[in-house]
Amino acid sequence: MISTAEATIGPFFPPRYVDQGANDLTVFDGRKARGDVIEIRGRVMQEDGTALENLIVEIWQADTQGIYRHPADPRHAQADANFLGWGRAATDAQGSYCFRTIKPGAPEGRLAHINFMVMFSGIMRILKTTMYFEEGSDPVLLSVPSERRKFLIAKNNEFNIRLRGENETPFFDD
Amino acid sequence: MKTTIQPRDERTQPSRIIEGYPQTPLRNPKQPLVKRAPTLSELTGPVEVAKRVKLLGGDIAGHGDKQAIGQLIHLKVRVLDEDGAPVGGAVVEVWQANGAGRYIHPNDDEHAPADVNFYGAARVVTDESGAFQLRTVKPGAYPVPTRDGWWRPPHIHFSLFGKVWLSRLVTQMYFPGEPLNAQDRILNAVPDAAARESLVARYVPPAADPYNALVFEHQIVLRGRAATPEQP
Ligand SMILES: [Fe+2]
Repeated sequence: MISTAEATIGPFFPPRYVDQGANDLTVFDGRKARGDVIEIRGRVMQEDGTALENLIVEIWQADTQGIYRHPADPRHAQADANFLGWGRAATDAQGSYCFRTIKPGAPEGRLAHINFMVMFSGIMRILKTTMYFEEGSDPVLLSVPSERRKFLIAKNNEFNIRLRGENETPFFDD
Repeated sequence: MKTTIQPRDERTQPSRIIEGYPQTPLRNPKQPLVKRAPTLSELTGPVEVAKRVKLLGGDIAGHGDKQAIGQLIHLKVRVLDEDGAPVGGAVVEVWQANGAGRYIHPNDDEHAPADVNFYGAARVVTDESGAFQLRTVKPGAYPVPTRDGWWRPPHIHFSLFGKVWLSRLVTQMYFPGEPLNAQDRILNAVPDAAARESLVARYVPPAADPYNALVFEHQIVLRGRAATPEQP
């Protein structure tokens, strides 16, 4: 079967869908996840540099041991029971988002990283990218042209996303 | 359970830049998208989102003597993967305009009246057969602020969480026989006619219905197939 066509999330995504605490991954079901707590912050800007408010950012990541809470991960039974690995945030009037999370461990064959998705009015297909903490050997990072890899490396856990134009964030063709 | 994701036929997906939709040239990448081979990171994903977010029922047309104004409809949706297998346990977020074409959202204060009995949003989980249902009113059409004659046809927005990260989908559903469908810039951004057609719900001729509503059926296909088990 052919997968359904995407469409923009539009300007009217209900604010209530950004549940209170959805950007805090360190607590699940009232219990604290294991590992180092970090805060990831950044701004999301369109081509002319304008900051975008109420843009939706979602993340997906491994736990402190580099394990995904998902049955396809062979180590899934050992995943931290108090860590879901998913979060959602909306940008504020300055175009900034913030997540409180656990620094992910490096999954097998990968550098430690966090998957990002961006959804907004005028974005016709979800934009997917990946944030790294440092450069190194990683198959997804190495698939990015070398001169653009630097835009995927967070600095002091700050990860800015430029949708288009100068210093454009690399997005993946999935 | 392992999932594989194959590249899509570009013609089945909307173009990223749309003429007459002024935000699109500012917010979509200019650089070519980067091809990658999916790894475990993208072929896993949040399958327990329902434990993290607040679910809202699928009945958004009002209760008791406080009923939303508009044509009452009963929408029956099935969520499948690319094998045609049902995707059960998937969180689905739904939002739509009221019968007059107005959203419950601070961005929408323009023209149409609010309806205090209309809920506007649902967040449900699919059952084992991949199905979910909505009792709602048919959304009204609304003019887009471009003010050049572009009206959005009646449509319902969906956001879905599938089995893996790359199955995540945001889409819109349309209604059959609507004259505005033919000129909508978002629906017609999808080049393939069959792919556009699959965004339009199917009207089911009137029959006995528990809600005594007009019935529409729709199908949503999330990306992903079951991976063939590796030989021992
Ligand atoms: Fe809409």
